Amino acid sequence: MNQARSTGSGPGRVLVMVYGVFALAATARAGVQLATRFSEAPLAYLLSALAGIVYIVATITLALGTRTSRRLAWIAISVELVGVLSVGTLSVLDGTAFPRATVWSDYGIGYGFVPLVLPLIGLFWLWLTRPAVTVSDDPSSTADSPRDRAR
Amino acid sequence: MIDGLAYAVMGLALVATGWGILTASLNKPPGRAQIGFGAVVELVVIAQTVIAGVRIGMGDRPDELATTIGYLIGIVLLIPVAGLWALSERTRFSGTVLAVAAFSVLAMTLRLQVLWTGGA
Repeated sequence: MNQARSTGSGPGRVLVMVYGVFALAATARAGVQLATRFSEAPLAYLLSALAGIVYIVATITLALGTRTSRRLAWIAISVELVGVLSVGTLSVLDGTAFPRATVWSDYGIGYGFVPLVLPLIGLFWLWLTRPAVTVSDDPSSTADSPRDRAR
Repeated sequence: MIDGLAYAVMGLALVATGWGILTASLNKPPGRAQIGFGAVVELVVIAQTVIAGVRIGMGDRPDELATTIGYLIGIVLLIPVAGLWALSERTRFSGTVLAVAAFSVLAMTLRLQVLWTGGA
């Protein structure tokens, strides 16, 4: 990958690192929850697992920085944003349904609100590193570019 | 856990975090001393995990055993992975990557400390 504006390069390396830490934290947490007390709060723990998967996908796709992985990163980080906003709101409104058990509970208060800020930075970074409309050295890219731009 | 060792980890991790931020703000890639310091932090982290593991083996039971074990394993992986990731592209951001890892080690040790003392 010799792209000048790869998502895993420059400041993107820091972003990938932060995503990696959250992938580790969320996945390990979900694993423990699902293995030891799934019946206590199945919905919260399944969301916990979803969070883990989303962080893993975002970490890998941002690190790769290819055309396809950028698309997956857009999806993963969008799901992440929707997840932290909806789980955050629900956990504030109805604390009993969502015990403080996922990285997204109370908008990620247990993790210094990083889970709330991270998807915003992630989406901004994807937008900032978006491919140019015309890429002269890659003929296959012209067909895809307008769609990438539209997103 | 062993309080003294945990505080040592936290102190060293805090210095490593500050060091990473410093080199990043000076627009320099991490130097040899900084990488060596990271290795020292990692050694103390490994010692912490080994000692905690032995104490669990000898019958100590922290409040949430599975979570504690997860933390003890995860915390050992952070610095080596961050080191490889940071040094494969050496820019000012390498220091920031190391700072993120060191800060995570700090946060995880704090959490471990709470887990360990909470169940007593």
